[in-house]
Amino acid sequence: MTTSYIKFPYFILFLFASICFAQNDNSEDYQFLERNEHITIQLEKGEFTIVKNIHERAEYITAKKLYFANEMLRFDSFTKLEDIEAITHLPDGKTVEVDYIETKHEFDDGIFYSDQQTKNFTFPAVTKGAITDLKYKEIISDPHFLGLFRFGTFAPTKKAELTIEFPKNIQIGYREFHTENVPVNFTKEETKNSFVYRWSVENVSKFTGEEDSEAALYYLPHIIIHIKNYEENGKTIPVLSNVTDLYSWYASLAKQVDENDLEKVYQIAESIASKHTTDRDKAEAIFNWVQGNITYVAFEDGLGGFIPRGAASVCKNRYGDCKDMANLLYVMLNHVGIPSYRAWIGTRDRPYLYEEVPTPMVDNHMITATVIDNDTIFIDGTDSYVNFGMPSSFTQTKEALIGITPEQFILKKVPKLASEKSKAIVNTSISFEDGRINAKEERLLTGYEKVDFVTGYLYKKKDITEEEFLNTTLALGNNKTKYQNIKVSPVESQYKSLTVSYDLVIENYVKTIGSKTILNLNIDRALSKQKIDVKSRKYTKKIDHQFQKEYTTTFTIPDGYKVTSLPKPITYDGKAYGFAISHEEKDGKVIQHKTIYVNTLRVEKEDFEAWNTFVKKLIKAYKKSIIIEK
Amino acid sequence: MRTVIVILLCLCSTQAFSQYYKDYDWEKSPKLHKLSEQDANKSSIAIIEKYIIEYYQSELSDAIRKFETNHSITRVHDEKGIKMHNRVYIPMYNVKDIVSIKARTISPDGKVTLLNKDNIKEVKNVEEYGDFKIFAIEGAQKDSEIEVLYTLEKQYSAFGRQTLQQDYPIKTLEYHFITGDLEGRIKPYNTTGNFEKKTYNDRAGLQLILNDVIPMVEEEYSTADANKSVVAYQCFGQKGVTDSLLWNNVVSNISEGMFPETPNAAVKDLVAEILKGQKEDDFTKAYLIDDYIKKNYTVIDNNNAQLSNIDYILKNKSASDLGIVKVYGHFLTAADVEYLPLITANVYQQKLDPEFFNPNSLREFLIYIPKTGNYITPDRIDYRLSEIPFYILGNNAMYISKKLEFSFYKTALSDPDYSRVVRNMDISFEDELEAATIVQQQEYYGYWSITNRAVLNLAPDQSIKEFEDYLTGSGIEDKVVKSYTTKNKDIAQLEYNKPFIVNSEITSESLLEEAGDSYIFQVGKVIGTQSELYQETKRVNPILMQYPNQYDYEITVTIPDGYEVEGLESLLIKKELLDEEGKQKCKFESNYTLEGNKLTITIQEFYKVSEYDIAEYDEFRNVINAASDFNKAAILMNPKE
Repeated sequence: MTTSYIKFPYFILFLFASICFAQNDNSEDYQFLERNEHITIQLEKGEFTIVKNIHERAEYITAKKLYFANEMLRFDSFTKLEDIEAITHLPDGKTVEVDYIETKHEFDDGIFYSDQQTKNFTFPAVTKGAITDLKYKEIISDPHFLGLFRFGTFAPTKKAELTIEFPKNIQIGYREFHTENVPVNFTKEETKNSFVYRWSVENVSKFTGEEDSEAALYYLPHIIIHIKNYEENGKTIPVLSNVTDLYSWYASLAKQVDENDLEKVYQIAESIASKHTTDRDKAEAIFNWVQGNITYVAFEDGLGGFIPRGAASVCKNRYGDCKDMANLLYVMLNHVGIPSYRAWIGTRDRPYLYEEVPTPMVDNHMITATVIDNDTIFIDGTDSYVNFGMPSSFTQTKEALIGITPEQFILKKVPKLASEKSKAIVNTSISFEDGRINAKEERLLTGYEKVDFVTGYLYKKKDITEEEFLNTTLALGNNKTKYQNIKVSPVESQYKSLTVSYDLVIENYVKTIGSKTILNLNIDRALSKQKIDVKSRKYTKKIDHQFQKEYTTTFTIPDGYKVTSLPKPITYDGKAYGFAISHEEKDGKVIQHKTIYVNTLRVEKEDFEAWNTFVKKLIKAYKKSIIIEK
Repeated sequence: MRTVIVILLCLCSTQAFSQYYKDYDWEKSPKLHKLSEQDANKSSIAIIEKYIIEYYQSELSDAIRKFETNHSITRVHDEKGIKMHNRVYIPMYNVKDIVSIKARTISPDGKVTLLNKDNIKEVKNVEEYGDFKIFAIEGAQKDSEIEVLYTLEKQYSAFGRQTLQQDYPIKTLEYHFITGDLEGRIKPYNTTGNFEKKTYNDRAGLQLILNDVIPMVEEEYSTADANKSVVAYQCFGQKGVTDSLLWNNVVSNISEGMFPETPNAAVKDLVAEILKGQKEDDFTKAYLIDDYIKKNYTVIDNNNAQLSNIDYILKNKSASDLGIVKVYGHFLTAADVEYLPLITANVYQQKLDPEFFNPNSLREFLIYIPKTGNYITPDRIDYRLSEIPFYILGNNAMYISKKLEFSFYKTALSDPDYSRVVRNMDISFEDELEAATIVQQQEYYGYWSITNRAVLNLAPDQSIKEFEDYLTGSGIEDKVVKSYTTKNKDIAQLEYNKPFIVNSEITSESLLEEAGDSYIFQVGKVIGTQSELYQETKRVNPILMQYPNQYDYEITVTIPDGYEVEGLESLLIKKELLDEEGKQKCKFESNYTLEGNKLTITIQEFYKVSEYDIAEYDEFRNVINAASDFNKAAILMNPKE
């Protein structure tokens, strides 16, 4: 999947990086004694000076994980790092200072060029009992990026504190997330010229990721603060007090988009549209053209990371990131008379609503919203295999900020795609000869079932053969299954469905013992590995998309055999998931019908047992075989 | 990891011809190339990939200049192909001057889009690779050709290495090595092609032309990266530079400080403390020192030159991969333990060639303790004094003695039976035959125990969870773990090859399938998911197992009262690969005995050697896949009549 981001404000990346890095943590080998952030805001003649003073002290309880001594601080064109002081306090009372800091760049698979850099250093002489002490200043050049403070992190934290000190003519907004079980002590103080807000917590346990879980921001206790507005000469000047402020800032950036030399773009749009009569067909054709002709390449360079590149240049260069493609679609569609708008949106990794925290923290992506026959359709040029009319999977359920005019916007949720739109229809015919199974199978995939298959097929298989890819992703029969005559229909976005077909030879699958031959028709055991470990699992289970699977498996009874045992039908309808399996014998054949559906994007903690009941019943149903005898 | 830099004096010689690269250019009016139908079906294919390495010494100066030209034309046919080639990264490591960088795209209708040079971005100090110039190819669409041509002047270095084989097919690959009157040598690896003499503007050189270079296939049990086609070269300003001279030069450059005459005084005291009351053999002493250093020092990879200065290191407890060897030098000398540092390379990346000096292959520093036959791996926190790490095993290494003499040896195990897995399982069935209970004891030796300990001590929680799943029986999807305990889990285990032990009890319903009144027991599944070697196409790489190893399993099944078993023949499997003398190089063998209601299954699988010839592949694969065959074994339990 081509996930794309318009611009990661650095603090988010820092958080993610810490969490990735963090995943090396295991038990209490390392802990933070304190993590403090003190923000001071000064305002003079409308110019903000924002400085974060960061102080962290960490203790090496054991010598097992000395690699935590490697520190990496990120910065970009919106932030500067200054006065880095890093010291190790040894158990014998001595101290050793960091005397070497290296500035580095990183290559990132998703972002081709980024202005983000890192300061790297290693705390010297760390060992069991050592305490490291890190202080530095982060100078923030744009008042829209005040950021986020996390109360909990990858290692246990004895004490975490955020303070913000600001002149009385400034108003601050803030909102806590996931602090229900982490009592936050909040105080407000007043000095002569300023207010001081303080949030502090004690003894926060560590957080580690889980398989198939939502992004860390869905459960990590944290707070987002933002400057709402300030007063100057009796006038209130807004910064980010509500979504209107956020949008007018975005709109001011969007105004800077280069709108020159659009003739060529218009020509292309016209020539595509001229081949179609309805708006829907025109829009679809233009979308498919962008899908097929513009390759995703992302640059993040200062505010350039927020301003789409001109449609003319994207068209000429044939590459762009999400905002470039969104803008190109916006230009092309409007030109052929289809009302379209640029829309800011957070991918499913971002848990926020715009009204909750009207800041750039909410979004990380841009798409196009187009209105056809009173229908709002969200289109995303970054996911090359999504069909027109389908949102990209990672934007489902998310709130889009749709810019109507430079002054006017609307908020609208991207719908989730109904399960019947993401379908796998599987037809299999099985015969049994010389102790082995021969089968012909065809899979007709639509919606995200198609998108997922294509992405995996094109990119994940990289170094493995087609057969091995199918064997590991579909896992049909057993791992001795041979796939032959593999055929895959064209994958591009203009094709509404994908057909994959192949022949299977499965050895060691049928058991013939004495006179009985035992055959299990469930060669596809979808979801059988999806049981949740209820005892240890902490966070909700994320499901990428809703889906349905429909199987028809036809087994030709070999000559001279008769069926002596046929499993009874089983149906299960759970909360938002279920299945039905039945067998019938007809005209010398046994036909198995099987349907499975999942109608949710998330399994909440209170539903873990219900989900497990579903999976367990399914596994049990998969165990039922047919028996044939001579 | 930094390569060892060799400094050589360059003596004067004269040349009077102009450089070849100056006249080299791309076609003025490019046209799309004709491709066969087969080539047109690939995501992308390089039509030409050309490297020109030119050493040049002018009449006016003693200095040798080095120029590198790269020229490629690539056809891209689909989105995957475009994505593979539309982002260009040019390393600026050692670059003195950018002579030129240009790129263009020729679209299917013949339109040419030239790269706007303002769009070339500079990226500084990327990870350990240095600076880069990067740009995105403009105008690339399906079925267009992407052409990139650049020439860089590099700092003079006598050596170079280039991987020729890529992840995409190449129709024609040309390598031009121009040295004029200078003394140059070039050696191709893993290719049937040879260099031939050629003159370039009257300057002497060598050229290699390869046609239809296929991408390297990633195969299991192979060192695919190390098997790619590569060239390595040398070019000197003086005559008579031999490989032996070059190796000697390395030894004198890096050995400084590795063999201290007298160890640092503080280290001496520390060593006395570490070894107090301990046994006095070299193994114990070296082990305790290794453990101490791993718990107190960090190995760092950055550009801080101080990290190889012993005083700085002892104060900051931070060292480069070379610097840390010096620390070991002081500690081992203080403990009076004999040692030999060695330099080598990761066998999965490249094979060290003692016959052709190439500083690029000197990447891993280790320490050999001759009295014990074991190795210290200074930069790996998951290793302690033991056998050589498996990723070095089988590569050539340069061992350096205290007298600063060096010898090359192929690294090997001192104990060929180092890595073993022993498993004992007791299987019984609950009432009503609803579920099977498996009580299991496992002992892991050698590399197995190193890996297991590393994961359980150092990996993220999530990976530990997955690993515990593997340790209690992978592939049993509805498994319920009743108990799980481990022994000897700590990374530090002073006893040589002390096993890592896992005891567990699980139950599973899915192992029992119903078939009328009978039950099918999927006994094969209890050994966990086994890897299966697929091979649709002809094997390309010879076989390298990570290391020799052996498995001994004993599975006891208690058949429930009132039932009798059928179908035991699926438990009998024997596959083997014999050497010329008829001795087993590797095998898989499973047997059973049935006494009363006790069914005892024994499995032995071993790989006595880790390297196998490509001709042995089919038999090797049969042995590997035999475990996967056993994985499918099932027995039928019928009610007694």
